[in-house]
Amino acid sequence: MKAREAIEAVAKHRGDAVAVCALGMAANEWWAVTKGEDAFYMHGAMGFAASFALGLALSLPKAPIWLINADGSLCMNLGCLLTEASQAPKNLKHFVVDNQIYQTVGALPMVNQGRTDYAAIARGAGIVRTRTIESLDELEREMPKIASEDGPSFTVLRVEAETEFLRTPPMTYEGPEMKYRFGRALEKRFGIEVFGPQGY
Amino acid sequence: MTRAIDVNEKIHEQLKNSGVTLAASLPDDWVAPLINRIAADNTMRHVRVAREAEAIAICSGAFFGGVRSVALMGATGLLTCTGELATLNLRHQIPVFLIVSQRGSIDDQRIYQEVQGRRTIPLLQTYDFPYHIVNRPDEIASIPDAYETCRLQKRPFVLFITRKLVKGDTA
Repeated sequence: MKAREAIEAVAKHRGDAVAVCALGMAANEWWAVTKGEDAFYMHGAMGFAASFALGLALSLPKAPIWLINADGSLCMNLGCLLTEASQAPKNLKHFVVDNQIYQTVGALPMVNQGRTDYAAIARGAGIVRTRTIESLDELEREMPKIASEDGPSFTVLRVEAETEFLRTPPMTYEGPEMKYRFGRALEKRFGIEVFGPQGY
Repeated sequence: MTRAIDVNEKIHEQLKNSGVTLAASLPDDWVAPLINRIAADNTMRHVRVAREAEAIAICSGAFFGGVRSVALMGATGLLTCTGELATLNLRHQIPVFLIVSQRGSIDDQRIYQEVQGRRTIPLLQTYDFPYHIVNRPDEIASIPDAYETCRLQKRPFVLFITRKLVKGDTA
């Protein structure tokens, strides 16, 4: 299964989920497939999309929050799994695109390449619903269940390591504009106040 | 002990007056009594984290859920978060309010806090992160203004609590 195919299969079942994407490949692919403005695409803080998504999920407990993480990012903040397990938000689903390489910076191998079982780590941290999906057929079959079950869940998407430099372009807006587009989209949809009366 | 309870009660109260309903924390011994108070408060969601930068990102996510939050940590923890504060909060102009122990002060003679004492404020100045030092109980009332300044300046804001504040003159 290629990363693009996995993202397409996940995105197809997202319904009205709000996505939070780790920087690099995960964000770029999610943008390419969905063009979604009700998604937050991290530009930095590698590893911490997971914590951002948790904060969002705890603040909007009725909103489905889907975290599109990647193996490189997860490894920078494995502790996020403990925090996720301890808070146990029913509305949070954690996906990890596991290509075993640092794709965006030139497809260099991940630390401990090929030997890490991320689902086992998540299970060990206390997340009950964990799985590793190895093929597109299996992903297509499992997605309706993953989409409908309570969180927190943790799904590893084992994808091919593509040796070509993946040049999927990032979203076409950045930094502060992303903040305002995302915040305004959530204000409109959930009737919340992200920005005050003076706009900050 | 009475003083510590009073001071932390007042900080807690001013956080509530600022509209804070979520706290993410990793303890330092000066901040621990405040964390314990908040953890016992059912009206405030408390998230214990495994690394301080998690608290920063959790508060940043909460911002977009319309929830006011605070990150609680020690000065050493703050130093570990500078990359995330720069590339998440400065990059996207996301406010995050931190309460941090001002370790390494002249009355904090711990060798392992010495660098934090000398370099934390110059580091914040380099990043252009505003900060405010609360040294006396009567200054705790400044928290709502500090919180609003954080929102208005759209960046990390560090509210330091000093040894004198949390331990008193004689401790």
